[in-house]
Amino acid sequence: MGYPIIALLAALALGASVPAVSQVPSEAPKPVKLNTTADHTKFKELQRVFASGPEVTKVCLTCHTEAAGQIHRTKHWKWEFLNPGSNQKLGKKNVLNNFCISIPSNYPFCTSCHVGYGWKDANFDFSSEESVDCLVCHDTTGNYKKPPGLAGNPPVKDMELPPGSGKIVKGIDLSRIAQKVGKTSRDTCGACHFFGGGGDGVKHGDMDSSLAAPTKELDVHMDAEGLDFTCGTCHKASSHDVAGSRYTPTAKDTKGAHLRGSTENRNPATCVNCHGKAPHEKAKQSERLNLHANKVACQTCHIPEIARGGVATKTSWDWSTAGKKGPDGKPMLVKDAKGRVIYDSKKGDFTLGENVKPEYAWFNGEVTYTLLGDKVDKSEGVTRINKLGGSAEDGKSMIWPLKVFRGSQPYDPDNKTLVTPHTAGNDDTAYWKNFGWEKAIESGMKVSGAPFSGKVDFIKTEMSWPITHMVAPKEKALGCTECHSKDGRLAGISGVYLPGRDGIPLMDTLGWSAALLTLLGVFGHGALRIFVARRK
Amino acid sequence: MKSARILLAAAIAATSLSALAYDADWKRGRVYYRSVCTSCHVANPVGSINPSAKTMGDWATYMKADKHAKGKEKVSQYISKTYRDKIKSANKAAEKFADVPDQELSDDIAAFLKKGAKDGDSPASCS
Repeated sequence: MGYPIIALLAALALGASVPAVSQVPSEAPKPVKLNTTADHTKFKELQRVFASGPEVTKVCLTCHTEAAGQIHRTKHWKWEFLNPGSNQKLGKKNVLNNFCISIPSNYPFCTSCHVGYGWKDANFDFSSEESVDCLVCHDTTGNYKKPPGLAGNPPVKDMELPPGSGKIVKGIDLSRIAQKVGKTSRDTCGACHFFGGGGDGVKHGDMDSSLAAPTKELDVHMDAEGLDFTCGTCHKASSHDVAGSRYTPTAKDTKGAHLRGSTENRNPATCVNCHGKAPHEKAKQSERLNLHANKVACQTCHIPEIARGGVATKTSWDWSTAGKKGPDGKPMLVKDAKGRVIYDSKKGDFTLGENVKPEYAWFNGEVTYTLLGDKVDKSEGVTRINKLGGSAEDGKSMIWPLKVFRGSQPYDPDNKTLVTPHTAGNDDTAYWKNFGWEKAIESGMKVSGAPFSGKVDFIKTEMSWPITHMVAPKEKALGCTECHSKDGRLAGISGVYLPGRDGIPLMDTLGWSAALLTLLGVFGHGALRIFVARRK
Repeated sequence: MKSARILLAAAIAATSLSALAYDADWKRGRVYYRSVCTSCHVANPVGSINPSAKTMGDWATYMKADKHAKGKEKVSQYISKTYRDKIKSANKAAEKFADVPDQELSDDIAAFLKKGAKDGDSPASCS
């Protein structure tokens, strides 16, 4: 028995594991990880106990020297965006919605989804490099967590959260997570984007935890058994800036497929970027379908329903009914037959839905927000928090599918403005603690620096969310009659003649009569020719 | 001198083998567990079994015991390349992971079950 065999047996006896080196030809390349160029477990700097997130970031920045500076320039960091078209100052920091309403005064809870550490109030230092959270996007273990209430900090040891609740949140091992960093994934992006609006699938309807490992039926691109796209496959990032925007979306991509190396500054996250402007090459009636692609967004036909992965999305939220207590005088939850919460004393009434058909509208990519300070009028019926621009005539619009979220939320009837209530927190002014709107709104508006009359009423609101995920297999795309019929999906779309929907009875009678007469003429002429030919 | 050389060779071999230790991919385990294990369990009277239905210890014991269907079969049989090859025409996950070594896939599933266990870092369901 030669030395190598003895050595191998000795090694096995020492407990070394599985693959047999002797089977690897000597000229074979050394075994390496193929999904990364750096095995972070080998870095001594990461082989230590970390007591906080910023301690990890400091180590990351010793090699990735430009990363924090790049992050500082992004919407993910600033939560602020100046819309160059409307000049409105937007971003999560500034806009309101009809879900959890607003961020100011609720920072420690909302900023659990910030790519930073420690944003607990309006004094957060946006120039701090060590406050950038690398792990939230680059964790591959799936174990990194930033629970609401900790201002974006991860728990490094077991702790009771919320304080006094008796619920224990387990501490996480930052060293282990830091040693396993890698590319972003559906799990990392989804840790926030699947849970927008305060829970799984609540806000978007086309994004929820079922997309972490979806089937082809749910999304042909993200299909975990197939193409397995990550979010970054479409939302291509450059210098840590992730492409795609809710504030200035690309409603109509007129430029066709985006070639590698192209220096065009355009959104890479559109269907057209890969599929081009005439995507139906192999389909039956491809010419007719490609004509549709001039006016109808791909998503309209290819996303027949949202919330198809078994996670319900909220479809309405009525804050005006919040505050009711149970028979025991304590806040209560009411659930439907499927165990989903449809009433919460802290939040009011909800409706939810799975397999929800979208609504449809012309959309040209322009979005205008009703911001804090803008006048609202209850007598107008519904206040649209975000108004989507678009019409059949402007040449820039396509027919888009939308999730329209309807709600009723507090507003100031004297000043005629929406308000920013202080909801989350363990202090006396937080609505979820004391159930008093006046105190909560006064406290929240103070942080927002906006006037509050002291009076509270509720106003109906709407938000529209263009739908773009959960693309179904082509076999499940909408059939013609879904739209080309009376009371079809596009019944509310104006400015375009839609065969099957827009027939005028007199015009139809005249047209069919003309066709019939033409047919009779053809047959009559043919018959006469035959008759004449036989006589000869 | 001779024994020193043997020890040195043994140390080098041990180091090489350690470097090759497999780093389990819980995400691949998740896909296989849901698409192969669960899809079959749902079709059979057993029903689906959430990873969060058991503790990390339970799952470790289960994987180590390698017993399926109350000991009549082996768990490893359903992870094997042979099994994947048999079902791959009707199961996309089996097709996608057709060439993954048995032990690696087994480790992937074990990692997912550990993570998704009742007392794991992220208790998980089958869907």
